[in-house]
Formats: sequence, structure tokens, C-alpha cells
Amino acid sequence: MEGRCAVEILTDFGFCLASSILKVSSSPGTDVFLTTGSDEVFVFGEQDRHIKAILIFPDNVRDLVVNKDKKTLYVACCTGVYCIRFSSLPSRAQSSESSRIPPRVKASHEHLVIREEGTLALLLLHSLLLNLRRENTSWLLTRYKIPEDSTTVARYETLGSFKAPLISDSDHRGSDERSEKKPVLFCVRPADASSKSPGAHASLDPVLFKVLFGIDAALAKSPVVLCGLPDGRLCFFAHRVPGSRLRVLYSLEQPVVFIGVQTNASHSLVALGESGKVVLVTLEPKATPGDGVAARFSEVRVPGPALCACLDKRSLYYSTGSDLLVLDLALVSSTGGSEAEKETLASPKTTADASRNVNSLNVCRVVALAEHLKNVEGQLQLQLLALSSRGQLQIIRPPVGVPDGGSSSHAGRAIKDVLSAIGDVCERASVLKSSVKSRNQTLTHLNQLLNISFLLKANANGKMEKPIRCRAVADWSTLLREDSLTLKYILDNGSPYILERGWTLNVTVSSMCDSAQVESSSAHYSFPFHNLHPGEKLEISLPLDTQGQWSLPCVVTATLAFALSSILGEKASAELSGGHLVNLPLNTLTVDCLHALRMVNPADVKRNAAPRSYDVTPLDTVRTFLKPHSGLRDDASSQKHSTCVKVSSQLLKETLKASEGTSTNVGVLLLDWLIGGEHGGVKSKSDTKTLDRSVVHARAPNGHLVKMTAKEVVLVNPTEEDSVVTPEAPLDIVEVRVESSSLAAVCGMHHAVLQRLQALLQKAPERSSTLNMQSLHVREALQHAKKILHKLQECRVSCNFGEGTSTGKMISHLLSAYEELRETSLLII
Amino acid sequence: MYTKRQQSPSKLSDRWIQENNELVNKWKNRDASSQDQNHAVLLLLPEFHKLLRKIQGLPPLEDHAHLEVCVVYNVCLLSIALSRMSEAEQLLKQTIERVLQMAGVEPMATSPPQFWHTLLTGVEPKATTPSEFWHTVLTSVENTAISSFLKNLLCVQWAIWLANCKFETIEAQKEEFASLSAGIQQNMASDGMSSNIPLLVMEPRKLLELLEICTAITQGAEMLKEGRRSEALSLLHPASSLPAPRILIAYTHLVYGCCLAHTGRPQMALLCFRKAVETDFQCVCAQYQTILVLRSLGNTRGEIEMLRFLHSTLRLPSNNEPVTPGNQLLPLSVLLQSQALQSLLSVPSSLSVLHSLAQKCVLNSRVPEGVEHYLGLLAAIHYDEHGVCSEDSDLPRLPELHLEAGTSLLMVERPGDCMTLCDEVITTTAELLPAHVVLEEPEEEEGGAQATSTEGEQDAVAMIFWTAAAHLLQGHCYCELKNWKEAVVHYTRCINLMVKVRFKEKGGQPQVPTTDMVNEKRKDLHILQRMKGLSFAGRGISFAQTDQLRQALRDLNLSLQAFPECVGAGLWCGEVLWRLNRKQEAAKIWEKTWNFSSDVANRIPLYLWEPQFGSVLDCEELRLRIRELDPNKDTSNQE
Repeated sequence: MEGRCAVEILTDFGFCLASSILKVSSSPGTDVFLTTGSDEVFVFGEQDRHIKAILIFPDNVRDLVVNKDKKTLYVACCTGVYCIRFSSLPSRAQSSESSRIPPRVKASHEHLVIREEGTLALLLLHSLLLNLRRENTSWLLTRYKIPEDSTTVARYETLGSFKAPLISDSDHRGSDERSEKKPVLFCVRPADASSKSPGAHASLDPVLFKVLFGIDAALAKSPVVLCGLPDGRLCFFAHRVPGSRLRVLYSLEQPVVFIGVQTNASHSLVALGESGKVVLVTLEPKATPGDGVAARFSEVRVPGPALCACLDKRSLYYSTGSDLLVLDLALVSSTGGSEAEKETLASPKTTADASRNVNSLNVCRVVALAEHLKNVEGQLQLQLLALSSRGQLQIIRPPVGVPDGGSSSHAGRAIKDVLSAIGDVCERASVLKSSVKSRNQTLTHLNQLLNISFLLKANANGKMEKPIRCRAVADWSTLLREDSLTLKYILDNGSPYILERGWTLNVTVSSMCDSAQVESSSAHYSFPFHNLHPGEKLEISLPLDTQGQWSLPCVVTATLAFALSSILGEKASAELSGGHLVNLPLNTLTVDCLHALRMVNPADVKRNAAPRSYDVTPLDTVRTFLKPHSGLRDDASSQKHSTCVKVSSQLLKETLKASEGTSTNVGVLLLDWLIGGEHGGVKSKSDTKTLDRSVVHARAPNGHLVKMTAKEVVLVNPTEEDSVVTPEAPLDIVEVRVESSSLAAVCGMHHAVLQRLQALLQKAPERSSTLNMQSLHVREALQHAKKILHKLQECRVSCNFGEGTSTGKMISHLLSAYEELRETSLLII
Repeated sequence: MYTKRQQSPSKLSDRWIQENNELVNKWKNRDASSQDQNHAVLLLLPEFHKLLRKIQGLPPLEDHAHLEVCVVYNVCLLSIALSRMSEAEQLLKQTIERVLQMAGVEPMATSPPQFWHTLLTGVEPKATTPSEFWHTVLTSVENTAISSFLKNLLCVQWAIWLANCKFETIEAQKEEFASLSAGIQQNMASDGMSSNIPLLVMEPRKLLELLEICTAITQGAEMLKEGRRSEALSLLHPASSLPAPRILIAYTHLVYGCCLAHTGRPQMALLCFRKAVETDFQCVCAQYQTILVLRSLGNTRGEIEMLRFLHSTLRLPSNNEPVTPGNQLLPLSVLLQSQALQSLLSVPSSLSVLHSLAQKCVLNSRVPEGVEHYLGLLAAIHYDEHGVCSEDSDLPRLPELHLEAGTSLLMVERPGDCMTLCDEVITTTAELLPAHVVLEEPEEEEGGAQATSTEGEQDAVAMIFWTAAAHLLQGHCYCELKNWKEAVVHYTRCINLMVKVRFKEKGGQPQVPTTDMVNEKRKDLHILQRMKGLSFAGRGISFAQTDQLRQALRDLNLSLQAFPECVGAGLWCGEVLWRLNRKQEAAKIWEKTWNFSSDVANRIPLYLWEPQFGSVLDCEELRLRIRELDPNKDTSNQE
């Protein structure tokens, strides 16, 4: 809907321009003269599109005018006005020979025609050169006569000057600012068919002319020079009227940037101020037929700042630096004008806003503009020559008919505005929405987190089972002919909350045996996980290296950790003083030898007593070869270690029955429970169905065979050792015996069994009847323990004094002491 | 030892002398034909300043004091040439201080700053007058070698005082200045042969001469202004024989003449002016003063001749300001700053002179000549590409010029051309005419402010008057062409415009003006009534010519009401009455009309001149008729 204009870049001067003083002067069809505010003036041939010459002046160029008739160029510098004749410029042929490098012409004293310092603006009026400069107290507009024969460059004769006093305001401004703002000179003459030199200057409707500039000027058909000063005054004088003075026509109250005449159906004088005030001077329509006409000054406001402008028949083009805008003057004078008038009636200082009559041409960085009428197929077509702040000389062809259809484009523009406003609001709303959403999410996360941590913390001391807990299944697997024990670790989410992304499960596996070296013998694992919904479980496999650094039993502790940064972001979480990690401990699991037992068929036991039952590798053969020589303890056949635990079958029946079911044999029941049951949250993966006997052959974690028997014994006649049992209460007990050639295996098994029985006892209901029996038994046990202690001390003494006793002997002493300790026939009731 | 120590400065001073001489030669060898003296000065001055800074970098030493003084002289003169008085004065002061310091004289030891302040500002001449100061200076260095150089600086001081119009100070210094002449001459004679002296941009001798005559001229003008005419005469008389540029001698004659004119010796004044013009042909101010004297003498013919002469002189190129004779450093405009003199030297612009000439010709029965001048004036305004000089404010407004020119054209029976000019005025004012205007009683005492505040109003009144006058003239033209019908149309238009104007007496309501309101002060009203009378008369006559006697009688009566002195209306009123067979009344009116005096001719605009309506009516024939009507009556009272 908005018209786009065609922009053609003629040439690129390739440098950044001082934006303050710039001017493009063009004479149609020939050359374009332009200055960048520096000391250079470029002569650009429009037809062959290259720089014909560069004129260099001794000072910064303030203004330039082209005299088409005499083919001269006048350039105002700080030091004076120079006159350059086109004929003195190098011809095109010469310049093309010299390989596209434009010839540089230096202006010298010979070219200096007016030696007046501080000329700010020039205007050519017939054979006069007008020169505006600023003196201490006034603006001085001096007329110089251009000599008829321009063969010799002589000093131009002055024909008198006009003065306009400075307004005191402008005195207070800094000198820099003063020099920045350039006055504008413009010449206008009354429109007249019999005019001698049409086109030289803008012509204005004769009636408006005489209303504005007086009857004398009209009668003399005098050109009138308008002068827009930086203080906003619009002054004029009539060139041919005797006694004419510089008089103030209007005050724009802001630096005048442009003065022009609009020659549409109704003529009007247009002046544009720097901050975007446009004054349209038109004829007041006659109110009553008899009355005289008057001029109407309508002020409208357009978006500023205006850097430069030019005018065609109905539009004012001006550049704000960031955009090239076009103001439809016809609309302003028809609609905006009357509104302005209404407003001025109400309060004289209001200025109508004409922003909606302004269209953008979408050309940015224009710092100088010139009108350029081009004859295209017999029609004069308006082009704008523009100089951008990047040094590009452009031809801009404004779109035809942009201003047409005023009201419809108007409505369209309004709709567009509304749409874009809606778009803006929508965008803002969506941003807000997403932020609200993310906050909500964060809150939900935090809520979940709080819930979960409350859940886990609250139950930390209680007996209730935590809804989020873990368990494990120990399992043997064979990988690369290497047996390894893996722990399938299962995290159960029994809570109604989702364990979301951000949670991490930290698992630490540490051996119970080697308490001195916890750090070295523990392994840590971290498992971050995504959502774990209620009822779901997380399964992970942990390798348990039974051969390596630590041995069973081992403790598996786990914590659930949550990094706050995942919901609050790094920054926010860093601000939290108490650390940004939430750590919630889970239940602890213990894995012992029983969990790691591997069932072996009794037949297999007989056939192969070797630790590896599956295959014999060369390594194994070496190992078996070495074994007899490695030490005395490992000799499976020679020495069998055993240990025994006695449990009251009554107790077992009470406890196991409650949980197990209908097995008659208590021994089998016990074995089944010991091996297949879940203890400390850990279960063995071994198939328990084989456990229908009271004897179990299995392989210990270290590979040695272990035999486990459980038999029911009625303890009626107490043996010499078990004399504590009272005869009146015969006792059924179950004796669990572990036998193996490996002492380590036996120890491990014994420990495991005791641990389990201990746990069982804690669950068992309280009884108090057997206390007296037990006390006797305890005394016996104490005596036994004293005996062992004595033995140990003996051993230690001999060890310390080193009385020639071999280490082997000492070890056997210790071992026997240990075994005796094991053999304590304590009965668990 | 002494020589050794002094060797290097003296070598330096040689170099500086050389440098100074080079600069001076550059000035002397410049392109003297170029009119742009200032530029050459502008280029030289910084170099001189540079040199001076070098010289003044050393402590004041007697050996090169003369060099320093010479350079200061040069710099000061160049500064004065550029009207940089304060700069020159400052430099002068510093130099004198240095010279005194060098001479070991400390007359200002008491309070030098105060003294110098007094010297330079002249505020407190009581303490020590500048002349006393200079006297001290000159006597204190009298025996030293630089005393003669120092006298040059006194000349510079004189120039500065003259440029600043400090006549009292100059007056007080008279004796010192008088002795200068001898001293400087001596100086030149003694030092002429020495090859190693610093050159000067202007010979002190010449400067002295220039100062003497310029002082005489400006002082004369000032005295004339103050009314000390005889003093001025005695001052100026010897000055005219001083050696000086021609233009200055002409100015001397001019001021002398002005003094004579003011002392009631116009013929001698004219002689002086003539001498002035003879001395310098371009002394236009003398021509203008001649015109003023002739005008006061009432010598119209001579005035016209002189106007013509002045106009032709003014049309020559470059006559605007007193021309500095070639090769002269100091522009005369700098030295002749006096306001009194400037008012004597001022000359109206050539257009203004041409207008005066044209008007004088027309008013003094040299109408064809006047017509030529008017046409020349209009051509200059319309077609001179250079525009007209802005300072002209004594020219009438352009519409009035057009109307005057039209009137003169009608006078030489070129009604067609007259009508063209009137048409231009009418078309120009066409859209601007207000519906009504009110003439207000002119404020008597507080004229200025009131006039400017109602400028628009006055313009509106003027516009109505101009348009009406244009219509009136067109009516006259059609009468001339005997196109009575058209004449009636145009007179009617004029009348219609006239009735738009109301008059408001102080404290009264706007009303239709009547004749009895007219008095000397109400010029606008006078013009209005006269125009009304003329237009009614014209219409009445036109009606009479077409035998519409009733209307004719009404209009002629109205005319006589508005403007009783209207001769045409009176005569024609009688004629119409006669034709209506009211012969007695006719005779009365005729006789009354013949008694009218026409003494107001100079006070009214030219274009309200009354055409010779009555020429068709032969007075002799009318008298005959009266005699026939009443043969007893004696008609001896004819004029």
C-alpha cells in the first residue's frame, strides 16, 4: 500500500560525510556539483556517471551556486567567494584518458572574486550574486554585481547591502552552533506570462505575491529574495523596489531548513523548519466579495528533524536522516489547513499535526536533496538527487501516485497502524504469557521438590517404609569368561509425585570389612534421570567387584539429589546461600555373601572341586598349578573349615511361618529363607527352587565351594558342651552349618547368616521365659571366651619375643583360636 | 668586549631590517591597479607582526630602537588601514613604554598605569593631558638618535585620534603637530643617504600632509555643525592650498562652500562648489550641495541643469564612496569619520536624483523632458538587472511614480501610454482593495510610533487613493480622447472608491468627509476631497459633453462642494447652467471661478494635477457671453 521508490546509486564517494553543511546543486542534463562540507567540490557528470573533477578550495565550502547562463560555479568558503568557470575545468576527453582518476583543480586567489569572510549562503539573481553573512550584531545580505565580461576575474563590485539585526537569543549560543546552522536564501518572482527568464527562479501566484511582498514589488515585477535565518525568521526584500529593506515575513521559531514554492493548482509558499514545522502560505479565500484578500499562514507539524528538503508540484520531500518522508501539501492545504485554521482561532500558537499526511519513502541517511527534472519519453518526470551520509549519490524516483487517493490510503494507513499496534500487543502478551508459564512451571517443580523432600525427610526416623525406596537384586553374570557379580539396583517411586528431570540418584557402594580404608574401597555412581512417574521404577546395574579391592559384605547407600539450578537458573540458584543442591538420603542396602552365592549341583561338586566350574583356561591351569604351593590355608582337601549357628526351631517356626507359608521342615525353611529371601533390601537372583533339601552346595563369591547344611536337632540330652539346657524342657533347634575349604568363605557366610538371624530376632515377638537357662549358658560361654583369650595372649607373647616360632605356627594358633570362637555353641532362641 | 657582545643583535637587526624592507617593497610593488587594497594589507600585516614579535623579544636597546620604531610605524599604519584602531593604539602604547625604558627616562614612575589610562582613553585630561605626555616623551628623548623616529609615531597617534574623531585632543596637540613638519623634513634629509635604514610603508612626510588636510576638513565640518562658521572658514582657507590629493582639496572647497552658504553667501558658496567640482570632477557631493543652494535660491532652471549633471555623474561607475587615490595606504574613509562631514558628503541615489529631475521638469513646464526622465526612471526600476539601491528611501512609492509618469504622459498628450501605466496600478491593487477604510485624524506630536503601528491601515488608504487616482487619470485620458462614455465609466469607478473612505475626527464617529473638515494638517483628507472634486468634475463634464445636462449639473455641483477651487468644475458648471438657460447663475459662477488662485500646486501629488478641462471653454468667449447677458456690467476684474 505504501509506495516504494526506486533508488539508483549513481556513484559512491566512499567516505563518511560531515553531515552539517551539505549541498547538491544540479543543472539538469549536465553536471552535478556537490560538496560534503569539506574543502572539496565534486563535479559529477550525470550522463557518463563519473566524477569529472574535484575542485579543492582553501577552506571548508559553505555554499555553492551554479550560474547556468554564464557557465560558472560560485563557491563560498570562509575566506571568500570563488568563481570557477566550467571552461577552466579539464574536458571530458582529457579526464577519460587519465584512467578514471578525476583531475583535481585547486582554487587559487585568481578565482577569488569576493573577499569577504564568513559567507554562509549564496544566491544568484540575474547578474547579481547575493551573499549572506553574519556580523557581530546583524545578518548582512550584500549584493555584488557580476561583471559583464567575465574574461577577467576582477573583484565584484558591491551594490549595497541589507541588514537584519541579530536576535539576542542567538548571541548566547556557542559559536560552533552558530556556524552549524546555515541560513537559506531563496528567490521568488511573480508569475507572469511575459517574464523574460522563465525557470530561473520560482514563480508565485501574483495575487499571493503582492499580498505577501507589497504592491511596490508587484508593480515593479521585482524578484523577491527570501532569507530563512537560523533564528527562524523568514525575511525578504524586493530586489527592484527603491528603498526596500529586509523585512520579516514570518517567524518559524526554529532554524529554517528550506524555502520553496509549490506550484500546484493553488500556489503557496512553503517553509520548513528544522524541527519539522511547515508553514504554508496561501491566499485566504475571500470571505465577502468586496473585501480584500489576505495571506493565510498555516502551520503544520511533521515528524522532524528535517535535514534537507525539496519540493515538487504537490509534495514536500524531506529527509530526517533516518528516512525520506514526503508530505502531501495538497492534503495539508485542503484538510490540514482548515483544521489548522480552526485551531488557530482557538489558540493562536497551536500547530496542526500533519503526521498522517506524511508518507515514508524508505530511503535512509539522506543528507542533501536536489530536485532533478528528467525528460523521460517526452514527459518531465521528477527525480530526486540525494546524497547520503555514506557518500552515495542516489537518484530517487518517488513512486507515482503515492499521494493519490488520499482518504483511502489514509484509512489504509490507519488500519495498518492499528494492525501493527495489535501485533505489538500480541507479541508483548505472548512474552508475558511464556514468562508466566515458566514461572508456573518453576513453582510446580519447586512444589514437587518440597513434597518429595518432605516425604523423604519426615520418614527418616520413623519406622514407616519410605514411599521412595530402593532395593537390589544380586546376580552373577559372565562376561568375557569372567564371572562378575552385578547388583541390579532398583529405585521404586511409590510416591504420588513425579521425580522429574533434575533429580540425580547418587549411589555409593562401600565395603563393610575395611573400615579403615573407606575412601579407597568405595565407589560412587551418579545417575541423572528424566521423569519417574508414580509407580515407575528405575533400574540400574552396578558392578560389584568381588575379586578386586573390596569384598562382601558391602553397603550400598543412595541419595536423591536435586540441583536447584535446573529450575531457578544458574544465577538465581547461585544467590541461594544454603547451597543449591538438595540431598535426600534413601534407604541403605547391604549386600553380603549369601546374596552372592551360586548354587551348585552336588554332582558337580564331586566331579570338580576346582573354583571354576565352567572352563579351564590356561591361566586357570597355572593357578591350579600354583595353588598347592601358595599356602597352607587354601588347601581345600586337606583342611575343612566349618562354623555352626544354632537357632531354636520354635523361634523359626514362629517367625518364618508367619511370613513363609507351609513348609514342614524347619531346616529347609530356614535355608530357603536365608538364600532366597530378601534381606536388607537385597535379594539373590539364585534359583531357589532347588532348595528342597537341607543341604546346599554353593559357590562362594570368591569361587570356593561351600556346603551349607541345616538340620533339626532335639536338644534333650545335653552334651558335655551344651549342658546348660535344662532337662525338663527339651529344645528343638536347627543347626546351620557352613563348611568350606576357604576360611574367608566360611567367615563371610557365618557373618551373613548371623546378620539375618539378628534381623529375624528383631522382628520376633518378645518372650521372657528362657532367661534362667540362658544365664547358665552365658557363664559357660564366658569361660570359653576366657580360654580363647588366654590362648591368644600366649600367641601374642611368643610372637612379640620372636622365640623362633615360625609364622606358620603362629597363624595356626590364631586360626584355632578363631575356630574355637566360632564353635561357641550359642543357641539362638 | 662591548662590540663582541653587541655583535649578534646588530647582525640580527641587519637581518630584520632586510626583512622589513622586503615586506615594504612587497607592498610598494603590489598590483596597484587592483582595487583591493585591503587584501594586500591583510596579507602583509601578519608578516609584519611576526617580525615585530621577534624584535620585541629583545630588551629595549638603543642600537635597534630605530628599527623597532620603524616596524611599529609600519604595523600601526597597516592596522589603521584595516580600521583596527584599538590594535594600533595598544601597540603604540607598548612601544612608547619600551622606548622610554630604553632612554632611561622615568617620568611616569609615579603611577604609570593611571597615566597611560589617561593618555589612551582621554578620560582624565586633568591629570596629564596626552599632549603633555607627548611633550614629555619627545623632550625626554630629544637628544637621542631615535627622537626623529619617534616623531613618526606621533603622526600615527594623530591618525588614530583623527580616525576616532578626537578633535579636542588634536586641538590640544596643535603646536606639537606644527613642529612635526620641520622635524620630519629634517629627518628625511639627514637619513636619506643612509642605505641601511629600515623602509617605511608610507613616507612620514606624506602622512603628515594627509593628516593635516583631513584634520582641517573634518574639523571644519564639525565646526560648521556646531555653528562656529567663521572659525571654520579661517581654518579651511589655508587648507585649500595644502599639498594633498585632489579629492581632499575638493572636499576642502566643499566644506568651505557649505560654510559660506550657511553664512548667507550663496553665490560665493556656489563658486566654491564649482571649484570643488573643477578640482575633482567626481566630487558629486559638491554638485548636490549646489543643487540645494540653487533650490533655496529658487533658481529652478539652474537646479534642473545641476540635477541633470549630477545624475549623469552618478551614472558613471564607481562613484559610491570617496575613492582613495591609487597607491595610497590609508583609505580616506578611515580618516574622514566625522558624522558632520559624512552628512555633507552624502548624496542621494541616482534614481532619486532622476526623480527630482523629472518632477522639476514637469512642474516647470518642461514636460517632454520630464516625461523622458520619468520613463527612464521606470525603465531603471523595471529592467535594471542590478536592482535599485536599497538606501533610497526618499523616492515616492512605486504606484505614485507610475501615476506621476502617467500624468506627465497625459500632459504631453500620450493618453494611451498613460492608460497603460494606470492599468498596471489598477491590476496590481485589484485584489487588495479593502471594502472600507477610515481615515483617522493624524496624531500631531507622537508621529513615528503611531505611523508604524498602522502601517497596514495606511497602506490600505494609500491603495485606495492610488487606484482611484489611476481611474481618475484614465478618465482624463478618455476625455482627452473624447470618449465621453468611457470617461464616465472611469470617473464613476474613481468616485465609487472615494466613497469608501470615511473620516474619523478625534473622538467622533467615522463619517463622510466634507470640505469644511479640510485643513492644512489633514493632508490625506485634502487629497481625498480634491480627488473627489476632480472625478465629479470630470464626470460632470463628460455628461455635459453628451448633453446629459441634469446629471452634469449634479456632478459639477458635487465637485464644487468637495473641492471648491476646481476651475474646470466651476467653468463647466456655468456652461451647463448657461445651457439650461440659467444664465445669471452661470455668469456668477464663472466670475467666481476666475478669482480662484492655484497656489497649492506644490503641496499635492503631481497626479492630482487638474487637467485643462476648461480649455474647451474659451474664457474670452465666456466673458463675451456675460457681457451680452448683462452689457452694463463691467468685466474689468479679469486677471
